[in-house]
Amino acid sequence: MEESLKSICYDALVIGAGIAGGEAALNLANTGYKVLLVDKELSVGGKMIMLSKVFPTLDCAACITTPKVSEISRHPNITIFTGSEVSNIRKLSDNEFAAKVTKKPRYVHVEDCTACQLCEKACPTSVRDQYQFGLIGRKAAFIPFSICSPKAAAIDIDNCTLCGACERACPTHCIDFTMETETIELHVKTIIVATGFNLFDPNNMPRYGYGKFKNVITAMQMEREIAPTRPYHTILRPGDGKVPDRIAYVLCVGSRDASVGNPICSQICCMYSIKQAQLLMGALPMADVTIYYINIRSFGKGFEEFYQQAKGMGVNFVKGKIGRISEKENGNLILRYEDINKGKLQEAEHDMVILSTGVLPNKGIDGLFENETLYLDEFSFVGQSDKLASPAKTSIGGVFVAGAATGPMDIPDSILSAGAASSEAISYIIQHA
Amino acid sequence: MAKINPSFGKELKKYGAINFNACYNCGNCTAVCSLSTEDVSFPREMVRVSTLGLEDEIQSSLKPWECYYCGECSTHCPQEANPGELMMSLRRYLTAKYDWTGLSGLMYKSLPLTISAFVLSLIGVLYFAFSVNFDLEKMVHWGHLFEMIAIGTVGFVILLPNVARMWWLTILKPGTKVPFKKYVSSIGELIVHMFTQKRALGCDDNQLRWFEHFIMVIGYLSLLFTTVFLNWFSSEYLIVTLFGYLVSTIVFVVTFDFVLSRIKKKKQISKHSQPSDWFFVIWLFLMGLSAFMVRLFIDLDLLESNKWLYLVHLTVLVQWALIIVPFGKWTHFLYRSFAMYFAKLKA
Repeated sequence: MEESLKSICYDALVIGAGIAGGEAALNLANTGYKVLLVDKELSVGGKMIMLSKVFPTLDCAACITTPKVSEISRHPNITIFTGSEVSNIRKLSDNEFAAKVTKKPRYVHVEDCTACQLCEKACPTSVRDQYQFGLIGRKAAFIPFSICSPKAAAIDIDNCTLCGACERACPTHCIDFTMETETIELHVKTIIVATGFNLFDPNNMPRYGYGKFKNVITAMQMEREIAPTRPYHTILRPGDGKVPDRIAYVLCVGSRDASVGNPICSQICCMYSIKQAQLLMGALPMADVTIYYINIRSFGKGFEEFYQQAKGMGVNFVKGKIGRISEKENGNLILRYEDINKGKLQEAEHDMVILSTGVLPNKGIDGLFENETLYLDEFSFVGQSDKLASPAKTSIGGVFVAGAATGPMDIPDSILSAGAASSEAISYIIQHA
Repeated sequence: MAKINPSFGKELKKYGAINFNACYNCGNCTAVCSLSTEDVSFPREMVRVSTLGLEDEIQSSLKPWECYYCGECSTHCPQEANPGELMMSLRRYLTAKYDWTGLSGLMYKSLPLTISAFVLSLIGVLYFAFSVNFDLEKMVHWGHLFEMIAIGTVGFVILLPNVARMWWLTILKPGTKVPFKKYVSSIGELIVHMFTQKRALGCDDNQLRWFEHFIMVIGYLSLLFTTVFLNWFSSEYLIVTLFGYLVSTIVFVVTFDFVLSRIKKKKQISKHSQPSDWFFVIWLFLMGLSAFMVRLFIDLDLLESNKWLYLVHLTVLVQWALIIVPFGKWTHFLYRSFAMYFAKLKA
């Protein structure tokens, strides 16, 4: 396949268009700098745009993210590359970095697409929808999700049968199977790494039965079930579509657990689980919600009050890590744990179990750099060269880090961190002009 | 009001405990343990009392014996606090506490002392052989006599009082009232657990481990019976001879596998071996093998020209009977089965 070669110049490159990357890009753009914002996903917005509400204020996550996303999308100083990846970054001098950007073909001309969804209707192929975390299916020709940006269709070429039905159905003829991978040579003055985090894959803990027991889901899946743009339009357990009555949260799944290689606290799981518990009590007033925890870490502003509020609403908090989950014939689940306050082994039956999975580093970032070394910390998050005084600085001058790429953190902290990274970047550009 | 003793941890480390202070009390170990029940929950409780150093609670507890060490708790411990190995160390500690002579504790904690005892036994055997002018007939005769005397003495002077101490520490001292009738009606529990170790079948790992251990115990007891009561080495009966071959083979083949798995360290239970564990499995192996060889040499008429072989066997036997049986790991045979008996009494 022949690749087209282009060369472009920007003041700043922001890798990752989640809430941290987006915020950093906006700060730079508002100050007058030209920014290239790159994300490997088909939409900007990162993980936050998928969430239901945020803790501890219970504000709608989408209502905070989408205005920000549209501001980013319409900003004259910001260029967005979605479905694209950065590689081969070389530091040429103090104020010049070169990099390669690989733009994968979307097979849709975004500027012509009206998101009418006719291609979705025409497409005969169904696969699991990764943007709904596998709860439902989607087509191979699809709009990633309802509030995505850019709001345009994409063709999932790996699952496409090349039948051409979408092409024929498209009223604006924006589907183009001749698109090819573009490789672009990029020159920038500064770089902000905002690559975020990964969630622990509970398949690595077979004793919880995720993937085997249908009514064991992850908190991110529950997040989709209670989001305004949710797939089922109500809370259902995936096994048989029953409305669950007794819901359990298992905290510290893949965090604070050296046996699965991640000994550190994820900082967000306690609070997002408490948030979901409150939302579930609102959505299903008759349901019992139990949270099984090791310690509740409600350290942030308003967190303890939020925790007490959940207790007041009737959420059960049980101290004890879940050891094993087994499934009954009717799809209910038996959780085995030691009630630490009683010192006794107990078993409890629940309709549905939510695994509050921990935060893992987004690995491989250090491999992006060619002639410099980006140091990672002992847990493979991006290392901060001066954690206390300049938390956004990395081991490479001119490369800054924002958000959860440095370690587990919540949304307000990510935005703060993005603020720090963008001001550091601006001051770097000015100093090395 | 219990008084805590944080320095107890140092004492327990001498018995092989590793990193148990890292425990953050999540209870995962208790929850993954397939032997743990609502009424008898462990191992976290034992980790907790060990961290606090509540020696009275540990000494009155039967829980260390109710664990059959599948290692699941250590595999899944989020803090890598190794609760399985703590339970193992508590069993060593309790063995030391039950022993009225105090020698068990000294040998568990000091390898040089243990080695000295082994060397001393070797010297004793050589001295004895020298004093009978290496006369094979005399050596075999006295060797056989030694076995009978050793069994009686060790049993009545060391093991019986120790089991009585265990009874005192776990039943009498904590003030458990048990009617005499219950002592009689529960006796079956003791016999069943002593000869079948059936509780290990409840462990989560594969049951090959139980089977291996089971045939090893049967093989060992039969070998003891054959050599001591049927006088295998001097027996004229073909059936006794063949039976001896069979059971000694079982002993050394199975223990060879035990030694191998402790070398390979693949399974959780064989990852951490204390000297007492090595001595136990290796001497059991040597005993089975040397007994087999001695009888083979007798049948091939080679023993007269290879007296050293009998001396090797006798040395292994003496070390086994005077060190490992009364003061080493052998005692778990008694304590485990009595623990199940006492647990039944307490229930």
